Amino acid sequence: MPKSQYILKHEQLLRDLKTIIDGLLSRQVANIWSIYGGLSRLHAAVEKIFKHGYKSDGNVNGSYYYFVQGLEWLQPKTSNNYFSIDCEYQPNIPVHLKGDKASIWLYRNLENLTLSTKLGWLLSDRNHLNGCYYSHAFLRSEKYAEATLICLKALERKQPSLMSEINPRLFLLQPNAEDIHKMHRRCSSLPDRYLNKIIYENKTKRSKILERHSEGDLSNELLNPRKEVVGKFKPWSSTPNLYVEKLEVIKEIIQSKTEPSTPIYSKKIFFSNTKNQNKRCTFFQNQENHDVQSTQHSIRFAKKKIKTIVVDNVDIIEHTPPLSNSYSSGTTVVENLDSSSSTPQNFLSDSITLPRSMVDYSFRALPGEKDYKKTPKKSFIEDGGKTILPMSTGYFPKPTKGQSLISFLTSSKISRTNAELDRENAHFSVSEAIISALEQIRYNQDLQLCDERMDDSDPEIMDLKQRIRVRRRQKIEEKQKRLWNSTVFNNGKTDATTSTTSDTYSECSSSDNIDDIEIDEASNLIENKGISISMASLYSEDDIKRMRGVPDGASDVFSAESVAISLISRFKAKQLPKASELEWLVSEKDAPQALLPLPNSWPVNPDDFEGDSVPLRGTQDWAPPRPQIIFTLHPSFTRKQLMIKQNYRCAGCSMRVSPQYASKFRYCEYLGRYFCTGCHSNQLSYIPARILYKWDFTRYAVSTFSYRLLEKMYTDPLFRIFDLNKNIGKIAKDVEFCRRYRLGLFYIKDFVLACRNTSSICETVKPYFKKDKEDIEIYSLQDLVKIKTGEMKKNLKFVVDLCIDHIMNCQICTGRGHICGICKNDDIIFPWQMNLVSRCDKCGTCYHKSCWKVGMSPCKKCTRLSRRRESDMSQSLEGCL
Amino acid sequence: MASRKKVLLKVIILGDSSVGKTSLMNQYVNRKFSNQYKATIGADFLTKEVTVDDRSVTMQIWDTAGQERFQSLGVAFYRGADCCVLVFDVTAPNTFKSLDSWRDEFLVQASPREPENFPFVLLGNKVDLEPRSISSKRAQQWCQSKNNIPYFETSAKEAINVEQAFLAIAKNALAQQNSAVDLYNEFPDQIKLTNTQKPSNGGSSCC
Repeated sequence: MPKSQYILKHEQLLRDLKTIIDGLLSRQVANIWSIYGGLSRLHAAVEKIFKHGYKSDGNVNGSYYYFVQGLEWLQPKTSNNYFSIDCEYQPNIPVHLKGDKASIWLYRNLENLTLSTKLGWLLSDRNHLNGCYYSHAFLRSEKYAEATLICLKALERKQPSLMSEINPRLFLLQPNAEDIHKMHRRCSSLPDRYLNKIIYENKTKRSKILERHSEGDLSNELLNPRKEVVGKFKPWSSTPNLYVEKLEVIKEIIQSKTEPSTPIYSKKIFFSNTKNQNKRCTFFQNQENHDVQSTQHSIRFAKKKIKTIVVDNVDIIEHTPPLSNSYSSGTTVVENLDSSSSTPQNFLSDSITLPRSMVDYSFRALPGEKDYKKTPKKSFIEDGGKTILPMSTGYFPKPTKGQSLISFLTSSKISRTNAELDRENAHFSVSEAIISALEQIRYNQDLQLCDERMDDSDPEIMDLKQRIRVRRRQKIEEKQKRLWNSTVFNNGKTDATTSTTSDTYSECSSSDNIDDIEIDEASNLIENKGISISMASLYSEDDIKRMRGVPDGASDVFSAESVAISLISRFKAKQLPKASELEWLVSEKDAPQALLPLPNSWPVNPDDFEGDSVPLRGTQDWAPPRPQIIFTLHPSFTRKQLMIKQNYRCAGCSMRVSPQYASKFRYCEYLGRYFCTGCHSNQLSYIPARILYKWDFTRYAVSTFSYRLLEKMYTDPLFRIFDLNKNIGKIAKDVEFCRRYRLGLFYIKDFVLACRNTSSICETVKPYFKKDKEDIEIYSLQDLVKIKTGEMKKNLKFVVDLCIDHIMNCQICTGRGHICGICKNDDIIFPWQMNLVSRCDKCGTCYHKSCWKVGMSPCKKCTRLSRRRESDMSQSLEGCL
Repeated sequence: MASRKKVLLKVIILGDSSVGKTSLMNQYVNRKFSNQYKATIGADFLTKEVTVDDRSVTMQIWDTAGQERFQSLGVAFYRGADCCVLVFDVTAPNTFKSLDSWRDEFLVQASPREPENFPFVLLGNKVDLEPRSISSKRAQQWCQSKNNIPYFETSAKEAINVEQAFLAIAKNALAQQNSAVDLYNEFPDQIKLTNTQKPSNGGSSCC
């Protein structure tokens, strides 16, 4: 047949397959697969493909049985169990297939959606393929075989999108085959690991065969081409997800191993007359051996898989049947147990799982979670700047004696540590403590078991046995360490080393006479690890919900204490050591100072002070910055002087710096301290003291803490500027002007507020009114800045003019003016006419400055009032008498 | 000629806080009463057209704040008053006692030409309430000692005697005005006079 005709045939076959699969995938009808004959149509199409170009040679056992049978040695671990079952188990196979093993096998695999994997294996061995098919066969054409695999895969995963990976030229009538070869091939690049793995897999298999049959039964002629194949090996299944799927298969195998009923060695495979029969004979003799070998091999292989794919590891552990069941099923179980829990390899993988699952959760903002950083801003005057936290306060609470671990971790003392750095550091302290707590639990359990065993024997023997036990454990540990090291170094490089390490390993696991206790312990370990260490199970939905319900600041699920609580909540409270028994990672030197706190509003009785009610600040040689208002200028020190004063520590977080790097620290102009670059990011701010004393409005670099503090107090009236600096009015003329206008406005306020005709201007001027006379003397930073810019003067003048304009034209307001009580002139005078009028501070009466001055003589009204009061007094006295 | 001229009578109501000054004024002017107490802020006035002795007059009634809440406020409006109404609460003796100081203070601040003859009217308010602590006899005694001030017992709530009282006030005010020199006749002029002075004063002297 001409070549182009073969290609046409190939196209035809692929098109048929594709149409069927497209139909199966696109239709959403539930029963199309089984009832409407989707499966049988697919079966027919695939069978055609399998049969195309097959060297039949009068095979009795169906058309392509030999090809399929290759699975038995290509993938012995699967075929051992399933191949024969696949071929013979036929309860609901269509009648016309009965008797055709290959056809049944195909049907079964299509039904179970496993064909693509198996076909992939079959195709991976070129030699076998070439042996079974003519060169023009559909399956021997790489492109078409690949397309078939893609089709099957798309069906198995129900992903129609995969179908687009097939080169359309393969099934669109395209007689010019050359074009296809020239075409750019769409290639999903495989991860190196995958390729290596397959090559490695083949290599090991072959070397196994080599080992077993080096006597010469397998000739070099056979081996050489095979090696060549390995070198040229092309991964057929190039779809990106294949790797994972292979693993899934391996996982399945591992699981199946734990089923005691699985007949592993029971099936003998019978070979019919084939061309290779003579070659196979010797191979067949060693079949059983080979099987054992490869089973072990596959398990070892599986271990490696576990190591590489970490995510699956958790699943594997979870799928391990309960120990009480598997304990009875012998060696396989022990091996399995080893592979899943106690080997250092696995420990490694466990430790990888831990941070992984952490990462998955930790930086995701949980909906509805309270974000303590987003609390509404309060001004300095409202909260005293308490919400501004320094980077660190150096505070870590100490448990009281006999306090349980849980109650300590849930106490408000822990959640009180809100400084950023403190919360981070808490992770260190808490994790250290929890690790030691867990260790202690384990130790106690061991001890208990020992006691139970030993309680009837002599104490001396007990001691001796204990020592032996310790020695033995050390020995095992050493071995495991060595093993671990070697596996780490030689991880899958050559099989020689791998096999030796595995030998050592099996030695150590089998020859060490693991007694009941150690198995018990191992079971404990599994339980502990399976539950407490895999964080995946830790952060179940329920847990997160529950933890979110924790009152006050502890609602943060990933705070040190929350993580710790969820860890230890798996244990009974009785098992846990007391919080005070643990060594917390806070050294004596770093412990909070043993100082009484500064009284807040009432004196603190030293007797009441127990250390648990009041959080302490700082350490022996460092104290965190306080939210204070600094009115005075700092004396100028040299950097060195000040750094020595600060003990070469950052004033914000107490980080120590060596003197040669002290130059990197930054000066905070507000606090007059040096800060590390973490606590001081060169933010610029006005410095109140510099404004008050030098009328200096330059913005200086301040620490982050100071910046936030100053930002908060910016609008708060805090500075009684004339008390702080008497000469400020002389330094800045505008200050004096503003002072007079503010006072004038204070008097005007009464008129405007008492008048019913001021609604038009009230809105404009009200913001400028101060409630108390006190207030007009106190300025905020903002006020001072506004004075400097002239904004204050402009605004005040505008408001005062607006008000006076109203007052002078309002009958009520003029009626509420003053008439000089001395000259009784008809002029109406007002208190804000400060050049003309003097006002009695006691009664508020106004006089002309020329008529009366403050302090000259008693105010007339005040005199009248006091006289009247006296007469009232005497009258009431008379009444009494 | 005088009858054709529109007459403005300036009346000041004085007395302790919560004796019912605002209520009396409201009852008289608007014929309304509210049980709700709302302290008067500063000062306010209402006007009412009345006919007294066939003369149509405009009464400008100044209600004042009994409490001294606003220290900066003065009492320049006392000037040019035609009549002063003193109010006390017949159930609260203290309000009666402080009548003297209210009268004295008014005379000092208003500085009328003839303080002895300046017309006052005394109103004992809240007669609807029990128990009374100031008898009408005691009030009348006080009135006699102050140059026979007319005395009315009123209830702003029940509108008892309010009309009569204010009619008497208007009559007294009119009599006072007729006897007084024309200079004090019209209050608005007076205000204007001061106003023209103030803006220049205020602008230069303030601050």
